[in-house]
Amino acid sequence: MAILTQLEYRLNFTIDAVIQPILTATVETALWLGIFSALGAGELGGFGRESYLAYALWANFVSRVTTNWMYEYNMLDEIDSGRVNAILMRPISFYEFYLSQFMGYKFLVAVISFVIPLTFCFVFGFPVQVERFPVMLLFVMYYLIFVHTLSFCVACLAFYLNRAHSFTGVKNLAIWVMAGEMIPLDLYPEPLKSLLLHSPFASGVYVPVGFMTGRVGFDYLGQSVISVTVGILVIGLIGRFLWKRGLRVYSGTGA
Amino acid sequence: MNIIECRGLTRQYKTYRRREGGWNAIKGFFNRQTELKTAVKPTNLTIQDGQVVGLVGANGAGKTTLLKMFSGLIHPSGGEISVLGFKPFERKTDFLRQISILLGQKAQLWWDLPAADSFNLLTRIYDLDPVQAKNHWLDLAERLDCRDQLYVQLRRLSLGERMKMEIIGSLLHRPRVLFLDEPTIGLDVLAQTTIRHFLTEYVQEHRPTIILTSHYMDDISQLADRLLLISRGEIVYDGDVGHFLSYAEKTLKLDIKSEETDFEQVIHKFFEKESGRGQIGHPHTT
Repeated sequence: MAILTQLEYRLNFTIDAVIQPILTATVETALWLGIFSALGAGELGGFGRESYLAYALWANFVSRVTTNWMYEYNMLDEIDSGRVNAILMRPISFYEFYLSQFMGYKFLVAVISFVIPLTFCFVFGFPVQVERFPVMLLFVMYYLIFVHTLSFCVACLAFYLNRAHSFTGVKNLAIWVMAGEMIPLDLYPEPLKSLLLHSPFASGVYVPVGFMTGRVGFDYLGQSVISVTVGILVIGLIGRFLWKRGLRVYSGTGA
Repeated sequence: MNIIECRGLTRQYKTYRRREGGWNAIKGFFNRQTELKTAVKPTNLTIQDGQVVGLVGANGAGKTTLLKMFSGLIHPSGGEISVLGFKPFERKTDFLRQISILLGQKAQLWWDLPAADSFNLLTRIYDLDPVQAKNHWLDLAERLDCRDQLYVQLRRLSLGERMKMEIIGSLLHRPRVLFLDEPTIGLDVLAQTTIRHFLTEYVQEHRPTIILTSHYMDDISQLADRLLLISRGEIVYDGDVGHFLSYAEKTLKLDIKSEETDFEQVIHKFFEKESGRGQIGHPHTT
C-alpha cells in the first residue's frame, strides 16, 4: 500500500529519495574537504580523506532511510484528528499497519537511493565494500523496526496532547547526533563514544555506513543487532503501555 | 436474541477551558483549568438481532458517543456493555470482524488511493476470499451507481461519491452489526435518496442489526423500526418510529422532516404535551 501511495506522488518521492540526500551529501562532503584542507594532514583519527568523504556520502543516504518523518507525522495526525478510528474498527493493529507501510516505503527508497553513493564511490575511488551491500541493507531494514517502534511511542503522545509534532523534530535531531550522521562516532570523546557505540542509535548511521566503508566489521554488526533487539523490546513495552493507556482516554475525535 | 445490552453505561470527557484574550492564554499555559463533562448519563438498553434502531437528538446530545461506545472506539467511563457477547472496548478480532461503523463526517478509506485499491486492502485485512470480495464490491458499486468512480483517487471524488465508497467499504465483510453515524449528512437530495434506497434494500436482503443516527428524519422513518430520542446524554423516548412521527406531526403540529429541525425543541414540546396526557412509547428513566 505504501508503494502504491508513494507512486501516486512521483515528484515528492523523487525529492525524498534522491534530491534531498544529494543536497545534504554535497554540503557535508564540502565540509570534510574544507576540514582536511585546513588541517593539512592526510589522516584524522586513523582514517584518510577519502574514507571521510565516503562516510559523508553514505551517511546522508542512509540517514534519509533510517529517519522517520513522514509516517510519524501521519501516525500523529491520525490519532490527533481521530482518523485512527478507521484502523481501530478493523481487525488490524495500528502498529503493524504502519510498520508494513513504513518498511515497504523505506525498502523502495533504500534500493533506489543507495545506487547513488555506490556509483559515486566507484567513480571517485572512495573506499566501499560492495559485497557487504546485501547484509547492510538487511541490517538497515531490521533497524527500521526500532525506528518505527520509537515513532509509535511518539505517535501515542497524541492521545494525551493536542499537538505533539514537536517531539518528532527533537527526537530525530537527537538521533542524528547519537547516530553519527555528521561526525563518525569514533571521533566523539569518551565516555560518550562508548555509550553511543553500545546504544541502538549507532545502528542508524554509524554502523551501516562504517560497515560499507570498512570502518567496522561483522563482529561489530553482530553486537549492534543485539543492541537494536534490546531497544525494540524496551521501547516496544513503553509503546504498548502508552497505547493501552491512551485508548482509555481517547475520545474518538482526537486527543 | 439480544445483540446489544448495556447497564448503567456512562461516558465523561475531560475538557480544557480558558477565557478569551492573551493574558488568559499565558495563565492557561501554566495552569490548565479542566472540567468533566458528562456526554452520556447512566443508560440501560437492549437491542435485538435484526432490529434497525434510529438514534435521534440535537448536536451534542450524546448520539455519537453512544455509538462509539457500542462499537468499541472509546472506553465507557462506567457501567457494563456487551455487543455480540463481547466487551466492545477490548476490540477482539472476532468482534471487529462482525461489526462496522460508518462515520459520516470522517473518511475511513485511504485518501490517496482509488477506492478499488482500498477495497482490495480491506479484503486482505478481513481475510476475505479475493474473488468473492471483488464480486461483492462490484455489485455494491453497481447498486449505488458509482462503478465509474472506483478507480479514481478518493480525494478527487465528490462528497456524495465518497460516501458511497465509504458505505461499500463498511459492508464489504458483511457485518452483523452496523453503526451508521449520519450517513447522509451534507449530501444533496439525489445522493441522500440513492443511499436511503440502497440501505433499505440491503436491510431487507441481509437483515443486519443497525443503529443509525441522523439529523434527517427521512433517514430514520425509511429505515428504522425503533426510535430512541436522546437529550443531554439521556434516552428520553424509546418506541415506534411511525407512532412518534404521526404524533409529532398531527398532534404537536411539528414539521420534523425539515433539515433545520431542532430536535431539542421537538423533544421539549413532546414532553410538555405528554406531561398532561398518557405517554406514548416507553420513556426511559435511566
